[in-house]
Amino acid sequence: MPPISDPVAFELFKNALIAIADEMALTITRTTYSGVLKDNMDFSTAFCDGEGRLIAQGLTLPGHLGSLPTALKSALDRFGDTIVDGDVLCLNDPYAGGMHLPDIFVFKPIFYEGQRMAFAATICHHTDVGGRVAGSNAADSTEIYQEGLRIPPTKLYSAGQPNETMFDLLRTNVRLPVQVEADLRAQLAACHIAERQFLEIVEDQGADQTITLMDELINYSERLARAAISKLPDGEWSFEDWIDDDGVDLGTPIRLFVTFKKSGDRIQADWTGSNPQVRGAINNTFSFTQAASYCAIRCVLDGDIPTNEGFFRAIDVVAPLGTIANMELPGACAARGLTGFRMIDCALGALAMMAPDKVMAASDGGNTGISIGGWDADRKPFVYVDFTCGAWGARPWADGLEGNANIFSNMASQSVEITEAEHPVEILRYEFLADRAGAGLYRGGAPFAREYRITADTASLQVRADRANFRPYGLYGGGAGHHARNALNPGTANEQDLEPKFTMDVQAGDVLLHELAGPGGWGDPLERPPVDVLDDVVDELVSEAGARRDYGVVINGHAIDAAATNALRAKLQAKRGPAPTPFTRGDAVPALEDGA
Amino acid sequence: MSGEWRIGVDIGGTFTDIVLLGPEGRLSVRKVSSSVDDYARAIVEGLAVALDEAGLTAADVADIRHGATVASNAILERKGARVGLIGTVGFRDVLEIRTLRMPRLYDLAWEKPKPLVPRRLRVTVPERIDANGAIVTPLDMEAAAVAIDALVAKGVDAIAVALINAYANPAHEQALKALLAERAPGVASCISTDVLPEIREYERTSTTVVNCYVLPVVGAYLKSLQAGLSAAKVDAPLSLMQSSGGLTPADAAARLPVHIIESGPAGGVVGAQALAEPLGESSIVSFDMGGTTAKAALVIDGRAERAEELQVGGEAIQASRLLTGQGYSVKTRAIDLAEVGAGGGSIVWIDAGGAMQIGPESAGASPGPVAYGMGGDRPTVTDANLILGYLNPAGLAGGDRPLDLEAARAVFQAKVADPLGLSLEDAAFGARRIAVANMMRTIRAVTVERGRDPRSAALFAFGGNGPLFGWDMAMALGMNRVIAPPAPGLFSAFGLIYAEVEHHYGRTLRRVLANADASEIEAAWAALETEAIDQLVAEGFSGPTQSVKRTASLRYKGQTHELEVDWTGPISAGKLDALAEAFGEEHARVYGHRAGAAEPVELITLRVSGRGLGDRPPLARASDRSTGTHGARQAYFGPKLGWLETPVLSRKDLVSSRKGPFIVEEYDATCLAPPGVSGEINDATGAIVLR
Repeated sequence: MPPISDPVAFELFKNALIAIADEMALTITRTTYSGVLKDNMDFSTAFCDGEGRLIAQGLTLPGHLGSLPTALKSALDRFGDTIVDGDVLCLNDPYAGGMHLPDIFVFKPIFYEGQRMAFAATICHHTDVGGRVAGSNAADSTEIYQEGLRIPPTKLYSAGQPNETMFDLLRTNVRLPVQVEADLRAQLAACHIAERQFLEIVEDQGADQTITLMDELINYSERLARAAISKLPDGEWSFEDWIDDDGVDLGTPIRLFVTFKKSGDRIQADWTGSNPQVRGAINNTFSFTQAASYCAIRCVLDGDIPTNEGFFRAIDVVAPLGTIANMELPGACAARGLTGFRMIDCALGALAMMAPDKVMAASDGGNTGISIGGWDADRKPFVYVDFTCGAWGARPWADGLEGNANIFSNMASQSVEITEAEHPVEILRYEFLADRAGAGLYRGGAPFAREYRITADTASLQVRADRANFRPYGLYGGGAGHHARNALNPGTANEQDLEPKFTMDVQAGDVLLHELAGPGGWGDPLERPPVDVLDDVVDELVSEAGARRDYGVVINGHAIDAAATNALRAKLQAKRGPAPTPFTRGDAVPALEDGA
Repeated sequence: MSGEWRIGVDIGGTFTDIVLLGPEGRLSVRKVSSSVDDYARAIVEGLAVALDEAGLTAADVADIRHGATVASNAILERKGARVGLIGTVGFRDVLEIRTLRMPRLYDLAWEKPKPLVPRRLRVTVPERIDANGAIVTPLDMEAAAVAIDALVAKGVDAIAVALINAYANPAHEQALKALLAERAPGVASCISTDVLPEIREYERTSTTVVNCYVLPVVGAYLKSLQAGLSAAKVDAPLSLMQSSGGLTPADAAARLPVHIIESGPAGGVVGAQALAEPLGESSIVSFDMGGTTAKAALVIDGRAERAEELQVGGEAIQASRLLTGQGYSVKTRAIDLAEVGAGGGSIVWIDAGGAMQIGPESAGASPGPVAYGMGGDRPTVTDANLILGYLNPAGLAGGDRPLDLEAARAVFQAKVADPLGLSLEDAAFGARRIAVANMMRTIRAVTVERGRDPRSAALFAFGGNGPLFGWDMAMALGMNRVIAPPAPGLFSAFGLIYAEVEHHYGRTLRRVLANADASEIEAAWAALETEAIDQLVAEGFSGPTQSVKRTASLRYKGQTHELEVDWTGPISAGKLDALAEAFGEEHARVYGHRAGAAEPVELITLRVSGRGLGDRPPLARASDRSTGTHGARQAYFGPKLGWLETPVLSRKDLVSSRKGPFIVEEYDATCLAPPGVSGEINDATGAIVLR
C-alpha cells in the first residue's frame, strides 16, 4: 500500500486538522483576557487521536512541544474507559503529566457514534495558581508544595456536568479567581470549536477513513522528520554548559550535559551527566526536557514538518530520574523556564558540531525574570512581573539578531508606557549596550539594558537572571559574549553589584539595572570586513576601542585606517595564533569531582 | 463640480485600472500598463484615453477617487525618506527592539526587517514625563538643538519625534516641533502626538516614523499627479482611499500619508459592501483572488471589519494570524484583510513526504504558468484550470494571450499526476481543491478571530481569478451564495466610486470610570469632534452630510487589551455608569461573560470618526462588453461527474436563471458555475449571483 492512499483527500485532511489546531489557538487569544496568554502566547493547542497520540499542534509556544502526549497519557491512565462523552479532563501536577503548576491542561474527548475518535487539547499558563508567591512563578521555592495548587488528573466536567467541587477549590486557592476562571473558559471554548469542526470532518469522511487519515498523517510527519534527519551526518557529540546557580544555593554552579547520537534516520538527545536535581525551583519535568530537545533539533531540520506523534517518533530523549532534567518529588519547578532556555543553548552547542553550517552561537541565555511586588499608596497589593531577553548568537551566515524573542519562546515585551501606567515602577532605560556581544566574522546580537525605578514606598524585588558567571559561548573562532549583570542604583555613590538571582527589599527611588548577557560570535573576528565593523562603530554598537581590541580594525573619526588595520590584525593574529575552535567559552568550566 | 462622471483609479504593479461611472449607471472601464517610473503618468494618459473612448471630456468628470500603492511601494522597496528620529534619553532603540515578537518558529534564519531609521540617525534628548503627564525632567532645549543640528548635518529628509509618555502630555513634543520649525525649516517633520496620541511607545513611534518615511514620496507623487491632471484640464477634486476604506482629500493624504498605506485593496471591499446591499446581502466575505495572492475581508451588517494595526512592508504573505512582527507596525484604522499566497500563478508541487502542495511559491507574471509559453516549466493553478477546461485555450482578455494546453498537460502529467499515481484530470482537480483549502484556512482565521460564523454570509468574488474559484470557496466555507460583480478584474477601481469620506481621531485618556472627572472626558471627546468637524467642513460637508460618531476603548482594570464601544451624545457624571454598562455588554458579547459591577472599568482611549456623506452613486448597468466566444467545451468536474459538455456564455446570457454547469467568459475574468448550481444576473447591479 502506498504511504498515502489518496493524496488529495490526505492534503485536505491535513489542512483541515492543522486549521482546527490554529483556530483553537485563535479562540484562546480572542477570549482570554490575560496578558500572559495574549501577549506572551504562553499557551498551546492540539488535537490528538482517540488513543492520545498527537495529530496536530497549533502554532504557539515551542516550550510546549511534546508535552501534550505526556499529560494526556497521565489522564488516560487515570480514567481510561470511564471517559464518556461530555467529560472534560484537566490537570497541572508536574508529577502527573504536567510541566509546572501555572500550566493547566484541559482535554475534551470527542465521540462519534459512541466511538472515542479524538481529544481536543489545550494548555494555558494561568496568571496565578496560588502558592507562597504571587504569580506562582518563584525561583526560590524548594519543594512543589510551596508552589501552588496541584491538580492531579481530574474530571472538570462529567458527562456535561461541571465538577463544582473542583471549581470551588480552584477559586479558593488562587489569587485571581476571575482571571483564572475566564482563561479556563477560553480553553473550554477552544475545545468546543475543535469538537464541532472535527465532527464535520468525520461526517464527511466516515469514521474508518478518518482513522486511516490520522494514521497516515502521523506516518507522513515521521517520514519527513526521518528524511530531514538522514541529511545530517552520523556520529556522537557532547556538550556541557553551566547555570550560575539555583537562587537558593548561591554560587553553586549547575551542570547541563547533553550527548547527541545520530545514526541514519534516528537521533537521540541524552542528558545523562546533567546535575542532580537542585533545591531551587528550576528543575524540569522529563516532558520539558523533551520539549527543549525537540525544539533544538527542529532548528536544524529542513522543511516544514507538521508537529505530531510522527515527528517525536524519530527522536529519542533520555534523562535520568533525579536530575535537573527529570526531577523527582518533592522537586520544585515553577521557574524551570530558565533551565529550558539554557538547555537550548547547551543542545545547540552539541548540534553546532554536528551541523556547523546551521547553528548559531549561544544566545543571551533566555529570559530574565524580574518581579516587583508590594503595596501601593492606596494599600492595594501590586505585582509587576517582567520576563525579558532578546539577543541571538551570531549565525554561520549572519550577525545574531538583536531585540528579538528567544527561539524557545516567542514572547512579546510589555509596553513601557503600559507598565508605568499600571505599576509603581518607572522604566528609565531600555536600549542596546555597546561592546557586549561576542565578536566574530559575524557578531552576536547586541544585548540590551533595562533600568527599573521603584516608585512605591517599599517593595520586594526578586530577580532570576543567569549567565552572570558563565558567558555565552562563541563558535568557530567567534568570541564569547559578555556577562549578564545586575546592579542597584547605578551611577550613584550607592551603586551596588547584585547576585544573578536574589530577593531583596527596596525603597522608593531605588533603581535596578539589569544588563543581558552578550551572545556569542561566529567565525574569526579578524576576518570581519572592516566596513562592517565601521558600520557598528557608526551605529555605536561597537566603540572605536572595541573595534581595535576585538576586531583589529583601526577607525578614527568614522574612517578606516587601512594600513593601521592590516598592521594591527597581523599583530593580533601572531599573538593569538589560530582562532580557537569550535568553542570559545571565555570562562573556565568548573572541574567535575567525579570526572564524569 | 460640473461633471457627472465619477472616476475610480486603482494602481497595481502591472496595470492601472480606470473605471468611469456616469449618469444612469453607464459604465466604462480601461486597463492600461502602469508607468513604473512615474505612476502618475499612466493615470493622466489612461484617463485621457478612457474619456475619449467614452466620448467624454475633462469637463465631464465630477471627481476622482484613487487607490494608490505609492506609500506601500516606498516601504516595500525601501525607497522612502532618510528619516532621523528624536527620542527620550535611555530609549534610543524603541524602534528596533519593537515588541520582540517574530513571525516564525524554529527558524534560525529569520531576519528582522531593518529599522526604517538606522541607529546612527536615532538620537535622544534629556527629558522625562511620567505616566500621569507630570514633567519629571524638563526638556533640555540646548541638547535638543544639538540633536537637531546633528541630524540635519547628516542629511536627513525628515525628522520624527516620539517621546516616552508623550500621550499623557505632549508639551515636550510640542516644544521640539517649534524648535524644528526654527532650526530645520526645510526638513519635513512630525511629532508622535500629532500622528497617534495614544499609549504604547513602540506602536506610536513606528507609526510616526512610517509617516515620515513616506511623507516626501507621497507628497511628490500627489503633486505630480495633480499637476498632470490640471494640465489635462481635469480640475475635479482628487481624493485618496485610506486603509480604513474611507476617502480623504489629496492634501490631507499628503499631510498624513500613513493612513493610505493599504489604500489599494480597500477599494474592492468597499465596492463589495456597496453592491451587496441592493442584493439584500448585508453580511459578506469579500474574496479577491489574482495571480499571486488572494485577499479576504469580512463585512458584517454592512460594515467592513476593521483592524487596529497593520504590519507593513514585510513579507507579503502572513503565514498565520497568530504570529506577528514580519513588517513595521502602523497603528491606523484599516480594513482587516486576510492575505494568502495563492493565485493563478501558484506552483503545484510534491513534498518530501509525498503530499501535493500548492504555493506559496508563485510563477508570477514572468515566466508565469506553463501555458503562457514564456518559459515557465513548473505546473501552476492556472495550468490546472486550463486542463480542466475552465479556461479558454484561446486565452483571456479577448484572446490577447493564447494558452498552450498541450504544454500544460504534458508538464502536469509528468510532475504531478504520474508521481502521485493519479489521472491527469484528477491531479488537476485535486490541485484546485487543495488551493481552495489553503485559502479557506486563512479566511476562516479572520472569521474565527472575530468569533463570526461565515455560513450565513454570501461570498463576493472578484479579481482575475475570484469568480473562477468563488463557488468552490463558498462550498468550503459552508456558504451557499456567490456574487460576481461586473468587471471583476477591475473591481478594486470600481469599488472606489462607492467610498465615502472618513476620518478617525483618537486620544488616550486613561481614567478609572468610577472616579473619573466626566467633564474632562467630555472636553477631550468634544475636542476630537471639533477636529473632525473642521476637517469635514473644509471638504465641503456640513449639516446633514456630516456624520460624527464617538467611541471609547475600555477594559477591566488589569486586562491588557481593550474593547471599543459606541457612545451617543455628551457624557456627564450621571452617565459614566451607562458607559461602564455598555462596556460590560460588549464584554459579554465578545467573551461570553462579564465581571460583576464591583470590577473597576478603565477608560483607555477616546475616539471620534467623522464621515462625509456624499450622493450615492448610481449602480452600474450590466456590462455590454462581450468576448463573443460563445459555444461549449468539455470541462471536468471530479471523479463522480467526469467530463461534461459545458456551455460558454457571456454575462448578458444570464438574464434568466440558468443551471450549471456553465462558464461565463469576460474581458477580464472567467466565472465558473459547476453542475447543480444555478446562476442569473441581477438587473440592478449587473452582478452574477450563483446559488
